[in-house]
Amino acid sequence: MPAFQWRAAAAATALCVGLGSPALAAETAPQGPDDLTDLSIEQLAQIQVRSASKREEPLSSAPTALFVITSDDIESSGVTSLPEALRLAPNLSVQQVDASQYSISARGFNGLQAGNKVLALIDGRSIYTPLGSTVFWNLHWPLLEDLQQIEVISGPGGTLYGPNAVNGVINVTTKDAQDTLGAVVRGTAGGNEQTAAARYGFQIGKSGAMRVYADWHNVDELPSLGSNVFDDSFRGWQAGFRSDFVSEADKLTVQGDVFHDTSPVEKGDGAHGQNLLARWTRALGPNSSFQLQTYYDYFKRRFSLVDDSLETFDAEGQLNATVGRHELVAGAGARTTRDEFINELNAFNLVPPRRRLWVFNGFVQDRYRLTPEVSLIAGLKLERSTFSGWQALPNLRLAWQPDGRTLLWAAVSRAVRSPSRIDRQLQALPFLAPAPEFTSEKLVAVEAGYRGQPTSMTSVSVNGFVNFYNDLRSTEFVDGHFQLMNGEEGRTYGIEAWGNAQLARGWRASLGVSTLWKDLHNKPGHLDLAVRNSLGNDPTWQVTARTDVDLTSRLHLTLDARAVGPIDQAPKIGSYVEAGGELAFDATKRIQLFVAGRNLLHKTHVESNDPSGAQLAERTIYAGARARF
Amino acid sequence: MLRRLILLIGVAAAVLLHPTAASAEPTDVSVKAAFLPRFVRYVTWPPAAMPHGSDPFVLCVIGSDPFGQLLDQAAGTQSIDGRHIVIRRMNSAAAAGDCQAAFVSTNRLDELSDFGGRPVLTVTDGSAAGPHGIIHFVVVGGRVRFFIDQALAERRHLNISSRLLALALGVRQ
Repeated sequence: MPAFQWRAAAAATALCVGLGSPALAAETAPQGPDDLTDLSIEQLAQIQVRSASKREEPLSSAPTALFVITSDDIESSGVTSLPEALRLAPNLSVQQVDASQYSISARGFNGLQAGNKVLALIDGRSIYTPLGSTVFWNLHWPLLEDLQQIEVISGPGGTLYGPNAVNGVINVTTKDAQDTLGAVVRGTAGGNEQTAAARYGFQIGKSGAMRVYADWHNVDELPSLGSNVFDDSFRGWQAGFRSDFVSEADKLTVQGDVFHDTSPVEKGDGAHGQNLLARWTRALGPNSSFQLQTYYDYFKRRFSLVDDSLETFDAEGQLNATVGRHELVAGAGARTTRDEFINELNAFNLVPPRRRLWVFNGFVQDRYRLTPEVSLIAGLKLERSTFSGWQALPNLRLAWQPDGRTLLWAAVSRAVRSPSRIDRQLQALPFLAPAPEFTSEKLVAVEAGYRGQPTSMTSVSVNGFVNFYNDLRSTEFVDGHFQLMNGEEGRTYGIEAWGNAQLARGWRASLGVSTLWKDLHNKPGHLDLAVRNSLGNDPTWQVTARTDVDLTSRLHLTLDARAVGPIDQAPKIGSYVEAGGELAFDATKRIQLFVAGRNLLHKTHVESNDPSGAQLAERTIYAGARARF
Repeated sequence: MLRRLILLIGVAAAVLLHPTAASAEPTDVSVKAAFLPRFVRYVTWPPAAMPHGSDPFVLCVIGSDPFGQLLDQAAGTQSIDGRHIVIRRMNSAAAAGDCQAAFVSTNRLDELSDFGGRPVLTVTDGSAAGPHGIIHFVVVGGRVRFFIDQALAERRHLNISSRLLALALGVRQ
């Protein structure tokens, strides 16, 4: 088969189909029709395929440091929450802070305070909160069985993904409702956590489908670390739906979730919220398509006499078109948030306590094929927020694909973290004054990488980066009080590498390494007094390894291990090694039984040094059952 | 503890270097290739457009061929009332005089109009709007499905069986 023709056709399909949920699946040779010859035409219509759109390189897998966590990875690892699933990405640093809170970052700046440079989305809905510039991971309990994949980009993604995609992007997508027909019921129980979940999916007419789901969790408190003695146990539920409709040229998705969590510290403590999203994609012609998306999101948290809430409306449009050798994508969006922060615990408050903020953006990116092997990508996003004027987020990338199995790339990009409410308007008089002059933190990143399949059953990715930061947040003493300022600068650099191999039918192994060096310092005339709390609590290295084996046709074993280097930022913590895994048994075609665990090597270990409330991470073992009908 | 990890990494590194074969789901291309010759079974041509005597059905690929050997192999397994199906590849509709069915590649969609009222079952790929064949493939929810333009089929005097129509995501009357 002429490979170049095949690629060209697939790329055209990728452009038309790949808009919604881009991916990079492992490459294998196209399978012959041997297995398909005996099927009836009806059976053919039901067979699950790997779409060309996932095999070829869609927009967001443009030359960048990308790792994809697949739904199989998530299910076979036996994890019970989204942040634990993110440990599968070797280019992320995941720190469990207490029973419910995690801080997750790429390329440094991890920590509850400092972890403000990674954007996260679920099905196109940003879960990065502009109130405190962070992600509250404990507010998101999508049904793990229904996740399509999690794309993890380390490095800036500002041009396509927008505000605050400085050090990385975590892009969670759930499956099309057409792929989740039927019922799933799952329960797990262990000494310190229990979960239960159910989903039912059904067809609507010939070209539509819908699923509804609910899940519940109950998590015990973690052992205290030092003086941080508090009950961090919590329990709650999340429920929701997703419906997808397709016609000749249109695709419509409508989905929503509602959640409620309680914590026992004070009566009324906990969180609740809901969201609703609609996305419409229309193919305009063989080489162009248009997408319109809008969503509403609300959540409210209450913890120890501190209340905050955030309401978000977002609308964005995107146009994709191939014109000659140009693959163009352009779009525009607007987002408004209304927040509230009421603190009856201590003197820290936002002034004013309620505020509406706006963000507007427009972007264009072009991928120009210089030769069949070499592409140049140039993109620019212009963004304006309530706390900043127009800011430019450009990126320039060069991709060289000498053959179908090899991609070499290099990129220069600029990204910013827009000021949040806390950066500008947090005050605790007479101790801390607000900082109306606080400006965006800025990054210029230089990256290069290799991604390829050296053999048909192996894939390898190696990326290097140097990040130049300016105007990083500092806490300084000015005119008799403390104030947040843009007083730090410097650079970080590191290497990320991962690979995986299909060793035999039913046996897979992977290995990942990431390193980080930081050289951050006060700008001339500035002195950061908060022990560089904003600069992150980052291990200098991390190694992850994992293997999945089908021991028999019905018995599957997954083992994972991670070694995490020391955190030198005071309070220092040492390196640690931990491991987890799952043993699953297919009792019948429909019922799977499993035992799983995490942090198995030690009863407890110190994982986060966050001064505001880190607890000890704990060995967790549970048994579960999952049935599909 | 560290030794345990180093051992694990060693095992992982060793296996990275010694991959063997395994395969996952079929590609959409191989499923489309399996569909194409099967369509012939569910379509009735006017007598004048049928192959002569015991000649095989002719399934043509116009423009760049995404299937290669996949299509030849899939066609080789089908026979309809004793007739085999052969694959011919060409660059224009004008050359497609003897074809009962034609897959028109994405780069030759402009050829579609050249079929005029000739009784040829045209098939196209992609979810794009614009010129489509009588049958066109889409990938929906990870499955290969298709739409059928029955009005166009009728203009070309092709009769499509209800079994095939029932399988379509949508039928244009």
